[in-house]
Amino acid sequence: MKTIFKFLFLIFLSFLSFTLSAQQKQISGEVTEAGTGNALPGVNITVVGTTRGVMSDSDGKYSIQASPNDKLVFSFIGMESQIIDVGSKTAIDVQMMEVSQELEGVTIVAFGQKLRNKEVVGSVTTIRPDELKVPSSNLTTALAGRLSGVIAYQRSGEPGQDNAEFFIRGVNTFGYKVDPLILIDNLEVSREDFARLTTEDIASFSIMKDAAATALYGARGANGVILVTTKQGRDEAVKVSIRIENSISSPTRNVELADPITYMRLHNEAVITRDPLGSRPYSQEKIANTIEGTNPIIFPITDWKDEMLKDYTMNQRAHLNISGGGKIAQYYLAGSFTQENGILRVDGKNNFNNNIDLKTFQLRSNTNINVTPNTEIIVRLSGVFDDYTGPINGGTAVYRNIMRTNPVLFPPVYPVDEAHEYITHPLFGNYGDGNYLNPYAEMVRGYKNYSRSTMTATVEFKQNLNFLLDGLRMNGLVSTSRYAFFDINRYYSPFYYQVLPGSYDRKTGKYAIDVINPLDGTEYLGYSEGPKDVSSVFYLQTMLNYDKVINKKHRFGGLLIFMVRNRLEGNAGSLQLSLPYRNVGLSGRATYSYDDRYFTEFNFGYNGSERFYKTERYGFFPSFGAGWTISSEAFWPEDQPVSKLKLRGTYGLVGNDQIGSATDRFFYLSNVDMNSAGRRGIFGEDRGYSRNGIFVTRYDNKDITWETSRKMNLGIDLGLFDSKIDIIADYFTEYRYNILMTRSSIPTTMGLTASSRANVGEASSRGVDVSVDVNHFFNPQFWLTGRGNFTYAASKYEVYEEPVYPNSYSSRVGYSLSQQWGYIAERLFYDDAEVNNAPRQTFGSRPAMAGDIKYKDVNGDDQITSLDQVPIGYPKTPEIIYGFGLSTGFKNVDFSAFFQGSARSSFWIDAQATAPFISHTYSGESFGGINLQNQLLKVYADDHWSEENRNAYALWPRLDDQVNSNNSQTNTWFMRNGAFLRLKQVELGYTLSKSVISRLKIQNLRIYLNGTNLASWSAFKLWDIEQAGNGLGYPIQKVFNLGVQLSL
Amino acid sequence: MRYIKTILVILVGFCSSCDNYLDVVPDNVATIDMAFKMRVTAEQYLFTCYSYLPSDSHVALNPAIYGADELWHYADVYPGVQIAKGMQGKGSPIMDYWSSSSARMSAPQTGSLEGTFATNSLWQAIRDCNIFLENVHRVKDMDQFEKDRWIAEVKFLKAYYHFYLFRMYGPIPLMRENLPITSDGEEVLVSREPVDVCVDYIVQLLDEAAADEKLPLKIEDRTTELGRITLPIVLALKAKVLVTAASPLFNGNTDYADFVNIDGTNLFNMTNDPEKWEKAATACKEAIDISHAAGHKLYTYNLNINAPNVSPETFIKMSIRGSVTSRENPEVIWANTRNATGSLQREAQARLDGGAANASIVGRGMAPTLKIAETYYTKNGVPIEEDKTWNYESRYDLRLSTADDRFYIMPNYYTASLHFDREPRFYGSMAFDGSVWYGQGRFSEDDPWHVEAKLGQYAGGPPGGNRYSITGYFPKKLVNPLNTYSATSAYVIVEYHWPIIRLADLYLLYAESLNELSGPSEEVFEYLNLVRARAGLESVEESWTQFSKNPTKYQMKSGLREIIHQERTIELAFEAHRFWDIRRWKTAINELNAPVYGWNVGQSDAKYYYRPRLIFNQTFRLRDYLWPIREYDIIVNKNLVQNPGW
Repeated sequence: MKTIFKFLFLIFLSFLSFTLSAQQKQISGEVTEAGTGNALPGVNITVVGTTRGVMSDSDGKYSIQASPNDKLVFSFIGMESQIIDVGSKTAIDVQMMEVSQELEGVTIVAFGQKLRNKEVVGSVTTIRPDELKVPSSNLTTALAGRLSGVIAYQRSGEPGQDNAEFFIRGVNTFGYKVDPLILIDNLEVSREDFARLTTEDIASFSIMKDAAATALYGARGANGVILVTTKQGRDEAVKVSIRIENSISSPTRNVELADPITYMRLHNEAVITRDPLGSRPYSQEKIANTIEGTNPIIFPITDWKDEMLKDYTMNQRAHLNISGGGKIAQYYLAGSFTQENGILRVDGKNNFNNNIDLKTFQLRSNTNINVTPNTEIIVRLSGVFDDYTGPINGGTAVYRNIMRTNPVLFPPVYPVDEAHEYITHPLFGNYGDGNYLNPYAEMVRGYKNYSRSTMTATVEFKQNLNFLLDGLRMNGLVSTSRYAFFDINRYYSPFYYQVLPGSYDRKTGKYAIDVINPLDGTEYLGYSEGPKDVSSVFYLQTMLNYDKVINKKHRFGGLLIFMVRNRLEGNAGSLQLSLPYRNVGLSGRATYSYDDRYFTEFNFGYNGSERFYKTERYGFFPSFGAGWTISSEAFWPEDQPVSKLKLRGTYGLVGNDQIGSATDRFFYLSNVDMNSAGRRGIFGEDRGYSRNGIFVTRYDNKDITWETSRKMNLGIDLGLFDSKIDIIADYFTEYRYNILMTRSSIPTTMGLTASSRANVGEASSRGVDVSVDVNHFFNPQFWLTGRGNFTYAASKYEVYEEPVYPNSYSSRVGYSLSQQWGYIAERLFYDDAEVNNAPRQTFGSRPAMAGDIKYKDVNGDDQITSLDQVPIGYPKTPEIIYGFGLSTGFKNVDFSAFFQGSARSSFWIDAQATAPFISHTYSGESFGGINLQNQLLKVYADDHWSEENRNAYALWPRLDDQVNSNNSQTNTWFMRNGAFLRLKQVELGYTLSKSVISRLKIQNLRIYLNGTNLASWSAFKLWDIEQAGNGLGYPIQKVFNLGVQLSL
Repeated sequence: MRYIKTILVILVGFCSSCDNYLDVVPDNVATIDMAFKMRVTAEQYLFTCYSYLPSDSHVALNPAIYGADELWHYADVYPGVQIAKGMQGKGSPIMDYWSSSSARMSAPQTGSLEGTFATNSLWQAIRDCNIFLENVHRVKDMDQFEKDRWIAEVKFLKAYYHFYLFRMYGPIPLMRENLPITSDGEEVLVSREPVDVCVDYIVQLLDEAAADEKLPLKIEDRTTELGRITLPIVLALKAKVLVTAASPLFNGNTDYADFVNIDGTNLFNMTNDPEKWEKAATACKEAIDISHAAGHKLYTYNLNINAPNVSPETFIKMSIRGSVTSRENPEVIWANTRNATGSLQREAQARLDGGAANASIVGRGMAPTLKIAETYYTKNGVPIEEDKTWNYESRYDLRLSTADDRFYIMPNYYTASLHFDREPRFYGSMAFDGSVWYGQGRFSEDDPWHVEAKLGQYAGGPPGGNRYSITGYFPKKLVNPLNTYSATSAYVIVEYHWPIIRLADLYLLYAESLNELSGPSEEVFEYLNLVRARAGLESVEESWTQFSKNPTKYQMKSGLREIIHQERTIELAFEAHRFWDIRRWKTAINELNAPVYGWNVGQSDAKYYYRPRLIFNQTFRLRDYLWPIREYDIIVNKNLVQNPGW
């Protein structure tokens, strides 16, 4: 560590040179603002390498003593500093240029460094924050198709749970950490905090994809890096900006169910077709009476969806920011508020709200203080606060419960009759022993509150070290953040009612209801607490930065960063998990460019992580890059379509220390459960003497270390027709090695209680990302811009620890990391004779029958076993994500439309969750003794195998009233293509004309209407295809949004 | 320059402390070494070795309860039922004690798992036993005497786990010592060892455990130590192992002539070796003698304090029931104290009234088959088809009970003739429509519970389609008579410990071994008759001579073999023995290739109810004698050969 450090510093020092001499003379001049020519008072003028300095007077005039070898630095807040050699001059007039936060031509790269676009050789995608605006409190839903290089998809529309999955250039490892490192103002944040970020607060948004761009993050950057910086104040008058939005959201598509009569008939069929002696769940009498609609209480038809869900809901968002400042201090203050509501109904008898109501408050304050002309202190404070009220088990559970409740057994609530006039609780319906799921009661019987907050405080210190060395700056940053989460459930136990058997009088229509569970129900609320989650992060970073142009052509840059990060979990759950999570790193960058034509750079990260054994703890991750702007060459002709052409290439290593799983720490230590109930011995007459046993949950391995990624990127930047069309295209390859894997060569006879692991896996990926921008101003009143993105990323197992399979198709090698293996469904069995003669299919407890799915015996051993599973379909993660959009403005009206699409992915209809009549629980759920009965999808009712209609290619196999494992194996029968194209967003805006605005004494006012997820195109019609296999969950929402944007 | 130096010094200073900064782990993190530092933790490790004992009282974890033709269930949820229905497969074997559920999870193949009942791999158990044996000497605060006892216990467990796998899978690899975790390649790819080598090794371990009387003869401190291994347990298991090894499945089984290891060695011996029966007989006798010395004897009813006088009929019935369920049971040599029997008892208990309190708690579907009901002898102690005085042909005809039947059948009730004039064990072990159910809170013979099991009656089915006996029978023998059933309050269970080996089992094994060794003899009859006497039956010789259509059957070796087999089935019915017995006798191919019958439980009228209804047509193939090894394990270990037929 020390030696490498010294070595690097020597390299760094070799950039420096000093010459000093003394021949003082008087130099004077005037400082003006470029463009306006106005005199600039208060500009700092200092002699480099000394503490001598003066300030320009009210007319912008100055004078200072300096020698011909000196250099003068002119600096002013909000302006770009200038360094001028004194030489023989005695009068130096300077024009200062304004620095803009979103200065055209600057790219924010690792650690918030600004690079001029020209200089970028790595692969970095930036986007104007405006483009990420969506009518949602969730930033992640805006990513898909907007940024080249990002693979993203959204599976749920439930407020608070609607984060989109996103990966940079796809998933390239099989460890647990596959998503990018996300940084806001250089601080690592969770996906949740990132999702809550308000677009107004964003000053820059960059995605770093290749080795050169991410190497500075060393062991943490292998999955790519997202870097966001927030806005700062400027030296200007107070500016207030307000945005208010109100939107209406409703599901893009609802799952269609069969009508209750069909439900009953087919349920009877499901029982009889499997067991001719079975008893029919519904009598002919019940069916006939239900058809007639004799009495909706006695013969109920319950449309649970209708009873429980509203058609739409309203959401509100507001944002306010104030910025401004003077020469000494500038500020940016922002606050925002969003409220998102669910589409669940509330029972009038309850005085609490069980609908989803997610309120998010945010506060952000960035203050810059110029302590001296060369010293700046920035204080950033931010807080994000979520307050949630909603159903006890979340909105997804509500949807899922609707999907597994019988529609003809009981109504959600019975109407109050005379006998129950004085009862204040809802008379929830149920059946039998009251053991059936009443999803309505389940939904309205209580509510959950959760509260989540993240607070961050950062102090940054910037020191200009020009007095030491021209072009040298130092920057220190200390930050701490606290995260807290808790939740509380409050609920009562419903009283269930049923119609008293025999009480129904057919003639009068009279009936009596009575409570089923007088002892279990409560009217008062009970209470339970969820786990509390608290953590704190400390982060320290110091940075030395050098930037120097020599002879106007040679540009040198240097950067050295030292960082320390410490995270503590307040309720980690075990000793090993409770220990601090730490990272230490030293990174550096050296760049040289010549005449803005040739660029080279070298980056490195040298990082340590506490997870590994001493000898494996540090990793060194170098990268190199070079660029050539051909169009700046003298030989490049002026008058031709290609106005800009630049070639870029980078190559290097980046690491990932978050391997295995989140709970795997200290691979070099064994982990032993010294108090394992699973290994408990029990003795004695009354089984009264017991001791918990001892159980190894991890064997130690001192050799485990980073996963490393070798990345190569080749890029081309193309400007056509005077940069009316800008194209950035990158081709990349990546080779990931040292991926942690479970050893599979160890047979079970070894008796290991935990798997043994090693860094043996390897994977590669390659792909292309392209973005195209088109800008055209027909005239100042009429403009048109277009933007298109395309990302293709395909991964492949290169080395995978697996036994030597007798068949090559069982091996992972050569297939995508998200490839699914499954059985090939040939068709449905024609008859029982065929079942008996076909290769044996023994899945679960139901013997295969005619009409069940017939699988292909791929290896021909006359049995269907896992060796008959072959790679099926496209990968589960889409390989292609694209988006394209168009914005246009004419006079005061602007219009934009954006399409987003995805291709080359497969998904599977969950054959168990959608299987009619069965009791299905999702993993992690427990319904102690409660009967669940899946609903019947209309498409299954319309198209299934039956004894009368022996269609071997019907959508759904032979009906069954119990879990049928034969048909719910992962197979090609339920495989669907995940490709789709959707109209993601359309927006129409109107900006009030200048004359009106000036009368109103405001700066700007824009009114807009937009719609999200308005239409989609795909072959799959059951539910919104983007939800893929999660189709019975909370649907993705279609949103219409009306907003006003106002600047004062 | 000075400043730069300062900065440099600060930065370097930071980094030299980096190593310390990243050393976040304190010294006292638990590692495996901690386990053998103190007696307390070593005891935990001993208990860990015990913890892998298969949960034999758990209907879903003991394949032998539902896996044969003794008990059936209306649903297919239990792995035993799935095995009985021929749904075993190699993709993910049902009741796979070879590869644990956790081992399956880590397997890269992600197809769904068919037989996913949580069992621990017994290889893990063996590994833990070896770790214990390798390390226990390091414990400081223990005297040698106790260490020796613990070592003997763990050696026994190691032998038992090997035996358990052997009984299921046949020839297995022997894990004499643990291979180091770091070992790789060929060394870990162990291969199966021939049957005889397996048996010798298991016996060797048991001999070591039994040597030098390191184990107690019996448990003195029953409140804390009951369930720990004693000397009689070791010898009883040894007897069982040797009987198994001498039985036709493992002794000269030419069906497995082609079953060879990867290097060509035969895994099964091809010639029948009668000496194996001699070894078995000796071991049985040794086990019986030491059990007697330890005070084990056949159980007879301890009169209940609430009913100090009972009829002889009830007394015998209660002796039969108590031989399994009694807590103070001198007959039990080894019982599993780790697993409770509560759910098993609820499963076996018929609903005894129409009260709602217990409607969903008891009667969960354990159903003896008609075949087993017909296996019990007549009251004369011979099979129903052999009894000269018993009308076999009209056994399904209805017959009205009288007051004479009151200890067995409620008077004035129509039930099948089959249920009349049977041996007391029939009435002690099974309940049926119209049968008396003594105990469960009612200890007066004038007013006992009884069962009514036709459709619509309280014990009948199917109420809401589940929780009923699909055959119309109930295994009363598995229900502790002290459990209290009440119309108004919940069913109260008195736990008992599931017997793994009881004395009657040893007597019958001894009789079987002697008969196989040298044919009928006084000694064979002596032990057979001990068991029959407790069941209120006359001796084999007398019963057959007097009542059988084949009066000399017992005088021939093969005839006596049949008698012993039937005696074993009856005496040990529902206790998960038959499943293994018919396999080692190689009779499963006949027994399990037959239809399973029950009464027509969907009928409410006795006339229709008492018609045997076909429930399932069982098929049993040669390959079913041995478990399949999970396909993935065969792929991982190329030296491991699959069992024939899988």
